[in-house]
Amino acid sequence: MTKENIFLPQEAKILRVEKTTGLERIFTLRLADGSSLSFEPGQILEVGLFGYGEIPIGVASSPTRKKTFDIVVRSVGRVSQALNRLSEGDSLFIRGPWGKGFPLENLRGHDLLIIAGGIGLCPTRSLIQYILDRRQEFKRFILFYGARDPQQQLFAHDLADWRQAKDVEYHETVDRGTPGWQGNVGVITTLFSKTPIEADTRVVICGPPIMFKFVIRELDKLGVAPENIFVDLERRMKCGVGKCGHCQINDQYVCTDGPVFSLAQIAPLEEAI
Amino acid sequence: MPKPRVAFFDFACCEGCQIEFTNYGDPAFLELLKHVDVVEFREAMSEKTTEPIDIAFIEGSFTREADRARLEDIRRRAKIVIAYGQCATTAGINALKNHTKDYKAFVYGQDAGMPHLDSQKAVGIDQAIPVDYYAWGCPVNKYEVLQIVSHLLHGKEPVIPNYPVCVECKRRETICRYDDDDYCLGPTARAGCGAPCPADGIPCEACRGFVDNPNHEALVKVLTKRAGMPKGWAEEKSRMFTANQRGDAK
Amino acid sequence: MGRHFLKDQDFQAFLRALLKAKAVVGPVAKKHKFVFARLEAPGDLRLDYDVTILPPKKEFSPTSQDLVRFDGARFEGCVEPQEKILFGVHFYDVKALDMTDLLFKEKNDDRNYTAHREAATIVVSNIQKVAPRAFWASIGSEVKPKGHDAWLTKISGGYVFETRTAKGEALLQYGKFVPATEAQFRAARQANEDILKKCPEKLQGSSAEVAKKVRAAFSREELWTKFAKDCFSCGSCNTVCPTCYCFDVQDWWNVDQKSGARTRTWDACLTEDFAKISLGSGAAENFREERAERFRHRFMRKSAYLNPKLGGPACVGCGRCSMACTADIADPVRVINEILEA
Repeated sequence: MTKENIFLPQEAKILRVEKTTGLERIFTLRLADGSSLSFEPGQILEVGLFGYGEIPIGVASSPTRKKTFDIVVRSVGRVSQALNRLSEGDSLFIRGPWGKGFPLENLRGHDLLIIAGGIGLCPTRSLIQYILDRRQEFKRFILFYGARDPQQQLFAHDLADWRQAKDVEYHETVDRGTPGWQGNVGVITTLFSKTPIEADTRVVICGPPIMFKFVIRELDKLGVAPENIFVDLERRMKCGVGKCGHCQINDQYVCTDGPVFSLAQIAPLEEAI
Repeated sequence: MPKPRVAFFDFACCEGCQIEFTNYGDPAFLELLKHVDVVEFREAMSEKTTEPIDIAFIEGSFTREADRARLEDIRRRAKIVIAYGQCATTAGINALKNHTKDYKAFVYGQDAGMPHLDSQKAVGIDQAIPVDYYAWGCPVNKYEVLQIVSHLLHGKEPVIPNYPVCVECKRRETICRYDDDDYCLGPTARAGCGAPCPADGIPCEACRGFVDNPNHEALVKVLTKRAGMPKGWAEEKSRMFTANQRGDAK
Repeated sequence: MGRHFLKDQDFQAFLRALLKAKAVVGPVAKKHKFVFARLEAPGDLRLDYDVTILPPKKEFSPTSQDLVRFDGARFEGCVEPQEKILFGVHFYDVKALDMTDLLFKEKNDDRNYTAHREAATIVVSNIQKVAPRAFWASIGSEVKPKGHDAWLTKISGGYVFETRTAKGEALLQYGKFVPATEAQFRAARQANEDILKKCPEKLQGSSAEVAKKVRAAFSREELWTKFAKDCFSCGSCNTVCPTCYCFDVQDWWNVDQKSGARTRTWDACLTEDFAKISLGSGAAENFREERAERFRHRFMRKSAYLNPKLGGPACVGCGRCSMACTADIADPVRVINEILEA
């Protein structure tokens, strides 16, 4: 009688917990039934604990790295605080993946620029890993990462690798420097002066809502077409399945029609950016 | 693991919110006692404690400077402090006295000069000590308190509505007081009570105070236009439980 | 399907047989208003109702509904549909159900709604009394109701009962139905057409015009600020709306502190915190912080945003929001007509 129930989650086991900044933890997970989670970079999961609730989180690892997957949880509310008290061996419960991720077909064979601000590095890390694992499918690969200050930088190991790596042109900045910080200081748009960007580059943007407008203005100056700019939007994605209404922009549900949209797609939608 | 230690304290109030806690009268209250250790609660026991507490429920307003030290002592000992009931959250009905000068003579007559009756402005306890959570209402809603305790036992911030009582009236298909030629403060009042008063044919008096951003101007308008109140009365009308939340708070 | 007739004197017996066999929900009186409720006796049914406080959607998406129940690490879904008959639904509410049917089913089929919906039989009643703020005759007339199983129309001497599905046909066994004559059928059709002329309120434009002009008014902030000036952000307009379907989800524990449920409750996009998210360290982002933005969002959703998907506006003209709004600013006819005039 009951077909599949879209609100029933599945159990995932925590294989590893890494504390990154004061607020965030990286969880490496495996589905309890032993199967591997099939998803695309940019898709979201509803991650929950019974009694506490569920929150939308983008997968932070690439599907090219099988069996396990990573999520980053920032302690901001009831559910995230409860999740961040869990340790290795504990279970949490996920639904999904839901929504549309980064348009890999559109990105392949082109120059790529990923612009990640703050916690926006988490969902884009899924794409970054994917690109690095299949590097020959893409042309130039540039990565901009901005954090509030050096202590807020996520994935320290990855950043160290990317700074050295030959197959990604990595540029980073912090809004506020701290003693000992030798790198760039300034908002993320200051990184545009570091390297030339071709107009037909495919661009992916993920970060706090305030960042979009400024970054898009720079891309516009460079002549990047709106259909080649992809934004990963954040909204209150409560149900994840396009029903509860909290993440609506116009007639679009960010959780199911997004969270990744092309700029051309959302330009006519009031309230999107 | 030992059960969390819970204690109740009272300041300027009628202690009705504490009575409400014992009013479960059903297995729910006894069941809850399996999960908490009540160490001080003068409505129901004579023991007192000077030890650390996990959850302190503080009822009553802060009205006397002399009470500050006792509040601070509770704060020092308590991991979590809950302003329990409207007197503690915003001074509720007690704050009406902030708008009068002759209350002492009016209430106590010839005894008005007795030193223990001396008090100042009535304010919420958060004017003396930091408060972690607010249990609104005159009295509190016992089922909401049960949920607050449940949430805290699990280390989860309680869920307290920030929408008007109208939401709850509509959900239960209560006939709007205004459609019954009555008045109601529900459109600006914080929900969470389940809207029992309008369901019983009584206007909401906003005993849980205002929502975060009440549209008071619009309230005055509907009180005059739809309930036929004179302008001056309509402007004063919401004060009973919200004296310290209104624009003219003293 | 078939056209049948039931004499006045046989109607109570039909209801009695129906109530004996099935759970029947219909309009009943609540003081001077009406609500959909389980019928206990045939006499409870008030087909002379004008409009109910809440729409019949609550039978499939209750105001509060458990989605998952848990006990420790064990958990289970709560899709437990019960067969029932909704008797005496007005056509505009069927149109609204057609919309929520589509919205709950599309992309990810929400069995917590659709399973209840599939277990129901819906009998329309012609509108015998018109609600004071109704405007169903002038909105979305290009969209016809389709989710009902039978249509009952009161005419002189009895009721014409037109069955539309096998579920509707199955009700015939409970009453002394005879085939309707052509004259009786015509009288029923006339009754349903005549009532359309009696709507007290009227939109001054077609659905397409309304959609276009309301959409075009999006950035006229002074207009929305004016419309929303007296808005309480109480969400009454949403809560009583037959096409609103947003919900909040919260988890809670039973008093044993071990078992509990994940429960959804009707939510309202006019309330202040609807689109608010926390960003950590006490910071928050509210994607529709201003009253006017929330007020506008409702009008966009009802008259423009969903039209391509639904084939018409997400409003059926029941007038519930107009009546429920304490400040009396929610009336779509007044707001939309003012936009059309500009």
